Amino acid sequence: MVVDGFFIAGTVVCLLSTLICIGAAVIRQPPNDVTILAVAAVELFLLVYLVAGIFRQAGGEPVTGEVWEFWGYLLTALMIPVGAFWWAILERSQWSNLVLGAVGVTIFVMLYRMEQIWDGAVPA
Amino acid sequence: MNRHDATGEAAHTSDGAGVAGGTQEPGASAGTLSRGPGRLLIAVYGVFALAATARAAFQLATKFDEAPLAYVLTAVAALVYVFATVSLSRSGVRWYRYSLAAVSLELIGVLTVGTLSVVDPVLFPADTVWSVYGRGYGFVPLILPVLGLWWLYRHRAVTAANRRT
Repeated sequence: MVVDGFFIAGTVVCLLSTLICIGAAVIRQPPNDVTILAVAAVELFLLVYLVAGIFRQAGGEPVTGEVWEFWGYLLTALMIPVGAFWWAILERSQWSNLVLGAVGVTIFVMLYRMEQIWDGAVPA
Repeated sequence: MNRHDATGEAAHTSDGAGVAGGTQEPGASAGTLSRGPGRLLIAVYGVFALAATARAAFQLATKFDEAPLAYVLTAVAALVYVFATVSLSRSGVRWYRYSLAAVSLELIGVLTVGTLSVVDPVLFPADTVWSVYGRGYGFVPLILPVLGLWWLYRHRAVTAANRRT
């Protein structure tokens, strides 16, 4: 896997988002603007990644792995912050911030797989 | 933990809370299992339901012939995760029992498949969710049912209270 700008940016966003949410949970805060924005940042990154992916592919950059698997991952990933947000705000407790914190971890793993597929690493 | 909210606020969760009817004690009202730490537990179950379903669909569609047994087991694991996610997020005695069954099945599955994949790698040439006790998924598949059973055990009184009525 080639470590490119997208992977670095995505890793930083996911890591910060998770740290902020876990931090808020530790100090017993219910989900607030800060943690919700932290999760929104992950979603924003994914949207940028989506648009960039469309342009990269339209511009002829080859996807070495299965193209539809890449898009499957990306479209699924886009739903995760939204779903977590919905699930978290139904209960205003510090546990909901841990739900939001799980977004960054999950998206990081999915980003790792997407980058593997794009660069043609053999799926595990 | 704000379990006290349970009576006032839980009513609008979209579950069939009416299943157990008016037999529940106030503290056991809708979605007891999905409160507090349960929210995180169910969220992680949801992620695994999604991951296992997607992986099973991919494996069955593209390389079923390579290892039919292993890939069918991924599909079974996916179904168990989906079912457990739904049942844990619902309330009532019936859903509690369904959850207990699903989470137990999950633990048996990960232990059986994990052991088989260590003892006989030829039988399981491919990675399933449960291969080598879920190593490919950071052993979360092994930890998750244990936490699930602990969480269900902690809420056993809810079931007992309902059973009496």
